[in-house]
Amino acid sequence: MTIAGWARSLAMVLAFACAGVAARAQDAKGVVTDPAILEKNRKENAECYGCHSEAGYKNPPRADMDMVKLRALLHDPAKFDGSNHVGMNCKICHGQPYETYPHPAGLKQNLSPCSECHATKSLRVEKQFEDSVHAKNLKDAFTCQTCHDPHVYKVAQKIGDPRVIVAQDNQMCIDCHNSDLRYSKFSAQLSTQKVRPDLDTLHKWLPNARLHWQAARCIDCHTPVSKVKSLQTSHEILAKDKAEKNCVACHSQQSQLAARLYRYAATNAAADLGFTNPSYLGSAYVIGATRNPWLDWGIIGAFAATILGLFVHGAIRVVAAGLRGRRAS
Amino acid sequence: MSSREYLLPLWLRLWHWTNAVLMIVLAVTGASLHFADPELKLVPFSLATTIHEIAGIALAVTYAFFVVANIVSGNWWQYVPKPPGVLHRCWVQTRYYMWGIFRGEPHPYPPTKEVNFNALQAVVYWTIMYVAVPVVILTGLVFFYPTWAPERMFGLDGLLPIAMLHYVAGAAVILFMVAHIYLGTMGVRPTSLFRMMITGWHEH
Ligand code: HEC
Ligand code: HEC
Ligand code: HEC
Ligand code: HEC
Ligand code: HEC
Ligand code: HEC
Ligand code: HEC
Ligand code: HEM
Repeated sequence: MTIAGWARSLAMVLAFACAGVAARAQDAKGVVTDPAILEKNRKENAECYGCHSEAGYKNPPRADMDMVKLRALLHDPAKFDGSNHVGMNCKICHGQPYETYPHPAGLKQNLSPCSECHATKSLRVEKQFEDSVHAKNLKDAFTCQTCHDPHVYKVAQKIGDPRVIVAQDNQMCIDCHNSDLRYSKFSAQLSTQKVRPDLDTLHKWLPNARLHWQAARCIDCHTPVSKVKSLQTSHEILAKDKAEKNCVACHSQQSQLAARLYRYAATNAAADLGFTNPSYLGSAYVIGATRNPWLDWGIIGAFAATILGLFVHGAIRVVAAGLRGRRAS
Repeated sequence: MSSREYLLPLWLRLWHWTNAVLMIVLAVTGASLHFADPELKLVPFSLATTIHEIAGIALAVTYAFFVVANIVSGNWWQYVPKPPGVLHRCWVQTRYYMWGIFRGEPHPYPPTKEVNFNALQAVVYWTIMYVAVPVVILTGLVFFYPTWAPERMFGLDGLLPIAMLHYVAGAAVILFMVAHIYLGTMGVRPTSLFRMMITGWHEH
């Protein structure tokens, strides 16, 4: 971090220490619960949206701007309000000087990294991330922000609905693994640049791969179960030969999905229907995992009874024929 | 020396055995999918999916052939239980299986060219072939193209009722098949009905 960065962090720590009442009992620094501060943040953020949103772009407050550049820097206020960082002031992460336009040069270096506010969690995540194929092979080009758009991302725990979690988490990977442009920017870091392998071709062995993309996450197959209990997901993206290829890991009653993707899904009234893994019922039918033991035993019982009945019937036929034969002779 | 009569045309016998092989394959792979478990030695899940899908489509095609051929040949008429006295004849047939057969009584309604099925057979075959099997095939096709399934049903995932129906109807068909194979031993000799299904000739 630059000296300016350190100074800013220090200033922030002091500021938060003073505003201690507002930041009470949260695991991240900078939490705002005070309605007055929330309102102030909303107003100040609206100034940024004055240019950095679809509406602002269509109706720019001034004529001397680089509109081509701005086009690529638009944000959706609704998405920000649905993210982890809802209610935060843009300038907490971006820095005060963005208030003025044209923005001063070189501000980018001052961006707060995730670890600045999420010290403990970041430390744990970073350890796993450093073992991932991306960190190992793509080095510094690959950061937390490469996957986590801090303006949009919402932690799975707060989403709950597995379908929405899947859509969000897979988008992080697909945005790059399905885009030649973005992928090549990163694969340029490799000693020999890699041509982006096509996702569908890579997963040909998986029937209905597209359907799987909507119901299971890339990380459910590409990461091990997190060894750190306080983390819901592991950040250690494994080399491809270690990825999960065993269907029964998900398609069985002991499905790993129950402990991962579905851990936040409500076990709602459907649980009364007597299914195993009732949390699945609302969002997916997973062959082998969504099962009703009553029905299974009923069907197994019907087969057992039928086969037994037929054996008895057959035995009586044989015996009766034998008796008749003896009587006849 | 028993008498012989040519009852079953070639197309029907070919259909029958194709159908039988596909059903058995579908039953084994279907069970491997439904009861998938790392501890159980079933057909591996991935292989089971592939085989079940191929056999399932083949069965749908076979079934379409069955329906068309039955209409064209007029064989469908055999499946219609003919009043009056359907219930009575079913009862007589049931009584025969539960009692008469042990005493060596003759079949109450032996097959003829005009009336190939007894009333009980007609009722059961009709239910299986025109209710249960279509249900299995249609739900199977929805499984194949999950986008056809309703998004949600009764607040649950839309595929759930489809899957349950497929499972239950499939089990019913195979349950029928188990009994059906056993009843196949009820000819003049235990093997004569199986021989009829191959040669087309019925031994009286
Ligand atoms: C008057 C319009 C306007 C306002 C208001 C505005 N910006 Fe910008 N901003 C731009 C334009 C145009 C660019 C494109 C690049 C450039 O010309 O500097 C830009 C670029 C940026 C960039 C990317 C460039 C870089 O330095 O990395 C960031 C980040 C940014 N603005 C943040 C903000 C924040 C935060 C606010 C609110 C505090 C804000 N902007 C308010 C017009 C505006
Ligand atoms: C939690 C910290 C955080 C908050 C709050 C935040 N940003 Fe950002 N912002 C970032 C980071 C980190 C990046 C750099 C992303 C990257 O490198 O791809 C960034 C990038 C940007 C960019 C330039 C790159 C891009 O993708 O558009 C703009 C413009 C921007 N932010 C605007 C805003 C506005 C407007 C707000 C307030 C509504 C805001 N930011 C709030 C962390 C934050
Ligand atoms: C300037 C401080 C700041 C920065 C920088 C920042 N966050 Fe946050 N973050 C917060 C605050 C405040 C919350 C709200 C915490 C709460 O509601 O408990 C939060 C919430 C979260 C949450 C949900 C709560 C949790 O811990 O599970 C996640 C996940 C998260 N941030 C990830 C990130 C990531 C990834 C980055 C980097 C791209 C980042 N944050 C950067 C301040 C920050
Ligand atoms: C390859 C993409 C990727 C990278 C790089 C990445 N993450 Fe994540 N991260 C994810 C995914 C996917 C999730 C799972 C979504 C969830 O649980 O909310 C996640 C979840 C999280 C969570 C919340 C889950 C929990 O256990 O509480 C935090 C916090 C987090 N990441 C922080 C970071 C930090 C810090 C970095 C940088 C060291 C980072 N991430 C880098 C993809 C990534
Ligand atoms: C059902 C488990 C599963 C899911 C879900 C899954 N993958 Fe894979 N993936 C694998 C396996 C196993 C391999 C190794 C294939 C091989 O070696 O033939 C693989 C290979 C890959 C590769 C190989 C890269 C290379 O260089 O060859 C990439 C990239 C990849 N997956 C990305 C993704 C993304 C992105 C998603 C989410 C959209 C995803 N995967 C979802 C199991 C999965
Ligand atoms: C910004 C681009 C980008 C994003 C986002 C990204 N990846 Fe990658 N990924 C790459 C590149 C580039 C490589 C090639 C690295 C290599 O071959 O060494 C790669 C390699 C991989 C590999 C193959 C490793 C091997 O053994 O060849 C897997 C698996 C993978 N990524 C999975 C994921 C998953 C899962 C996510 C989402 C959580 C994700 N990636 C997000 C760019 C990205
Ligand atoms: C990461 C967990 C996971 C793994 C590993 C996995 N699946 Fe799935 N699979 C799912 C989920 C979740 C669904 C439910 C999809 C839905 O209903 O939307 C599904 C659905 C399916 C379906 C049903 C699609 C349909 O027609 O409705 C088939 C077939 C299937 N998987 C086959 C496989 C095979 C074969 C493998 C191994 C090669 C495999 N799956 C590995 C999670 C997984
Ligand atoms: C579930 C799969 C099966 C279905 C749906 C089925 C259906 C049928 C039908 C509709 C007939 C009457 C054919 C006609 O004349 O139109 C028939 C006859 C017959 N089938 Fe099957 N069959 C199946 C499997 C089997 C199997 C696996 C065998 C034995 C290996 C078998 C043995 C016989 C015999 C012996 C007959 C003639 C005797 C009788 O009608 O009782 N079938 N089957």
